[in-house]
Amino acid sequence: MKPKCTVFSLLLLFVFSALFAFAGGGQEMVTKEAYPPEMEEWLKVSKLGPHEGSTQDWAEIERLAKQEGRVVVYSSSSRIANVAEAFEATYPEIKLEGYDLGSVQTLEKTIREQDAGVYNADIITTGGSGQVIYELLAKNRIVNFVPDTVAKEIPKEMKDPLLVRINEAIVFFYNKETYPDAPPIKNVWELTTQKWRGKIVLKNPLESESVFMGICTLAEHADEMAAAYRRFAGKKIELSPGVPDAGYEFIYRLLKNDMVLLSSGSKSAEASGKKGQADPPFSIGSFTYMRYNDTNGFANEVFRDLDPVAGVIYPTYTGIARQAPHPNAAKLLTAFLLGSPEINPDSVIDEPYTEGKSVELLQGLAPYYEMGSQSPRKDVPPPAGGEIWDQVAGKCWTASPEFMWYEAPKVQDFWVQESSQ
Amino acid sequence: MLLALIFLVVLTFLVIAPLVQIVYTSLIYQSNDLRVVRDARVGQFTLYHYARIFSGRLARSIFYKPFLNSLLVGFGVTVLAMVVGALLAWVLVRTDIHLKRFFNSVIVIPYMMPSWVIALAWLIFFKNDRIAGQQGMLQQLFGLGPPDWFSYGLLPIVICLGLHYYSYSFLLVSGALRTVDSELEEAGAVAGLSRSAILRKITLPIVLPAISSSFILTFTRSMGTFGTPALLGLPVRFFTIPTRIYASINSRNMGDAFVLALVLVVLASVAIYINSRIIGIRKSFVTMQGKGFHSRPTRLGALRVPITIIVLVFLLVAVFMPVVILAYSTFMLLPGDYSFSNLTLHFWVGASDFRRASGQEGILRNDGIGRGVWNSVRLGVLAAAINGIVGLLIGYSVVRSRGRPLSKTLEAVSFAPYVFPSIAMGAIYLGMFARPLGPIPALYGSFVLLVLIVVVKNLPFSSRSGISAMLQIDRSLEESARIHGLPWFKRFRKIIFPLATSGFVSGMILTFITAMRELSLLILLVTPATRVLTSVIFEYESQNQTQHANGVTLILLFIIVVANLIVRRFFGQRSLSGLRDS
Repeated sequence: MKPKCTVFSLLLLFVFSALFAFAGGGQEMVTKEAYPPEMEEWLKVSKLGPHEGSTQDWAEIERLAKQEGRVVVYSSSSRIANVAEAFEATYPEIKLEGYDLGSVQTLEKTIREQDAGVYNADIITTGGSGQVIYELLAKNRIVNFVPDTVAKEIPKEMKDPLLVRINEAIVFFYNKETYPDAPPIKNVWELTTQKWRGKIVLKNPLESESVFMGICTLAEHADEMAAAYRRFAGKKIELSPGVPDAGYEFIYRLLKNDMVLLSSGSKSAEASGKKGQADPPFSIGSFTYMRYNDTNGFANEVFRDLDPVAGVIYPTYTGIARQAPHPNAAKLLTAFLLGSPEINPDSVIDEPYTEGKSVELLQGLAPYYEMGSQSPRKDVPPPAGGEIWDQVAGKCWTASPEFMWYEAPKVQDFWVQESSQ
Repeated sequence: MLLALIFLVVLTFLVIAPLVQIVYTSLIYQSNDLRVVRDARVGQFTLYHYARIFSGRLARSIFYKPFLNSLLVGFGVTVLAMVVGALLAWVLVRTDIHLKRFFNSVIVIPYMMPSWVIALAWLIFFKNDRIAGQQGMLQQLFGLGPPDWFSYGLLPIVICLGLHYYSYSFLLVSGALRTVDSELEEAGAVAGLSRSAILRKITLPIVLPAISSSFILTFTRSMGTFGTPALLGLPVRFFTIPTRIYASINSRNMGDAFVLALVLVVLASVAIYINSRIIGIRKSFVTMQGKGFHSRPTRLGALRVPITIIVLVFLLVAVFMPVVILAYSTFMLLPGDYSFSNLTLHFWVGASDFRRASGQEGILRNDGIGRGVWNSVRLGVLAAAINGIVGLLIGYSVVRSRGRPLSKTLEAVSFAPYVFPSIAMGAIYLGMFARPLGPIPALYGSFVLLVLIVVVKNLPFSSRSGISAMLQIDRSLEESARIHGLPWFKRFRKIIFPLATSGFVSGMILTFITAMRELSLLILLVTPATRVLTSVIFEYESQNQTQHANGVTLILLFIIVVANLIVRRFFGQRSLSGLRDS
């Protein structure tokens, strides 16, 4: 036994392998306003960004797309598989290769690959406002492309700086079976009272970008939260030591009121929505969980009038990846994702949406066409039960990319610190 | 030794380089950090992450508490798993207990399931009102839920993981016990030693290496496990280092994640160091000498039936209940409704129906699942074969050059993957292989990368079993062949390999099983084309499509059990120098 010898040889190994590790170079991030030359070249050839021109020649795009024969999508959504099915049925010449990565991995994979000079993806579609805008778009990792076929039906903020593919929301749910007449609370601050101790359930925000966005957006609106507190308690809010404002104070008090964290969003929907519960909790989760009322027999209900907010709307963006190998197929798919231009407010779209006539109209929107989400297009009629979106959206705040980019890390640290028991 | 040197270089690249990368990443600013530290540059040297984790405002909640919790989980699980595993091993190998064959084939089933499956079963039973929704069975039956400390947190995590990880010590200890020649023990008896003295002075020292390596494996694995603490700890906000790592990776705080990962790495290294000290001091025992060998079971006498019943009940609770619950749940139209009218075959054979399971086709006609089966099996078989051979070769290199620094270093390096938390290793490999590296093309997205990472991750296993198999083969056997002029390759094939088959095969089965049920390691690397069964399960589970998730889990389990049976049948009947595998 010669421990010294071993230590020494391990040390050598470290030095040796350090060479390996650095050989490929650390990640270097260039924050340039201008496009790098090879990207400029690609933009020109692909007629994208500054070279898009005034009109889009869709016959030509389709012809070239069929030549390209493939389109690779990095998506935060598992339903990209259903999109692929519909897309390949419409364009059998083009294979859609969909990577269902979740929002974090979509970003991570895109960034890591591009930094390594690998340009695999054609389309990046994911939520995560701050990072998509500040890390992908601002750093030229994606390019905005809005199909002119439907552009006029999309409000400005949903196509500039980046096209929104679908809007979703994180909302408060309560159990309608237990509380059939009226929601049990009127003001969110009631959730911080002893009465509802341990009675609010949500997916761990540190594992869910969208839930986290919801929490952050509550923190962002500190003034409204303070005003709501005054309406609830009749007096000005007293902040706990070390808590900066009423937004954070709300999060702080929720946590101190024994909020329950789960590892799955659908399970939080079950917690609040399962029938036959005498004392069900509230949950915070995706608006689209309303579908479980049909499929799983839950009794979830959203608030139409919760003071000061019933939920937080967040967009899922879509952009064409830098130096995408199949730019025309990417354009074609972007248009496909938004649904056929033939859709109008009077279109009759029957269930099941992913079949027959319905899918011909909805195209890539079909898998996302459900109660609790909203197409950016004003001319798309709501799905069955979808009127509920408009009833609730007015009482919602929208996640802001700036806040999500610069302030969310602080909210996260605050959460980590205060959520530990 | 050339062989040892080659391995050292390759492993350095696959094992140590990622470690260096972890250290490096933890010491520089990432682009994500610039959101907070705005004047920093990416790649600039900094102790920012270390300060955050160890001394900042966050330290207590992000590090110290989770660290303490992880230690509690690690030790709790290890003690439970080792006691259960070693006892079962002794009872099944060295006594005349009834139903031995049957026990032997089902006892490692918990190991074949993803570790969080038992946690799921725990929740089905013992869930209380805290997380609401579907009531736990206990509460449904008695109207009263168990207290929080019983339903969630440390205790259930330790129990569930203990019931999963006992297989490590069971497999390793029973492997070692099989090689103990009863004559040694009989010699002790003749010399007048009492039964407990024989156990203490003869049996225990021989199986000590197996016990200590199962300690390492169980401890490091349970410290690094994510699924079960996430499921059972989260509702009472019981955080561990892995759940903190996962959360950090998820919010792209790579620096934080890697500092935390390094904590696990250091901890595991300390454990391995202690282990090597123990084995080093105790030296090794050569028990396989090519001479007469026999094993005589201890008679349990009056205790034979009661002990059989105890083992039976244990298996019923730890193995069959979770499986039966899983199976039953796949036939329930609405989860949690146990009435007969709620039974359906829809989730197995149904066509796509958007009102059920988000339109997923039944399990048996689902292409996605079929592809997952093919990928998983391919991955398992390839990894097992490569691991088996590599493990044996490493074992050979290490043992034959024992005492030299080269041997020690190779041994240490081949252990190193164990100290990587799986999830962190996946992240590192993703980074390393997303681009071409010298002669190696960009492996990301390819099936090869999955095989590679599984092989490397399982190296500690396979090299361990390779080493212990080699340790027990007396050098004289090989030397006599050398004297007869057999070249190295022939010596290896004709003498070493057959003698080591027991260790080789058990190492292969272990790798196969691990590969089949690995999730944390692969989750960052799989793509739709290379999707494996566990990632399919994970997807269904996170969408709360319980029936599909559980059904696919059953398929996974079925494949593993069948494969295990085939291997046993095939190799178990070959008798090697009196060494029997029953």
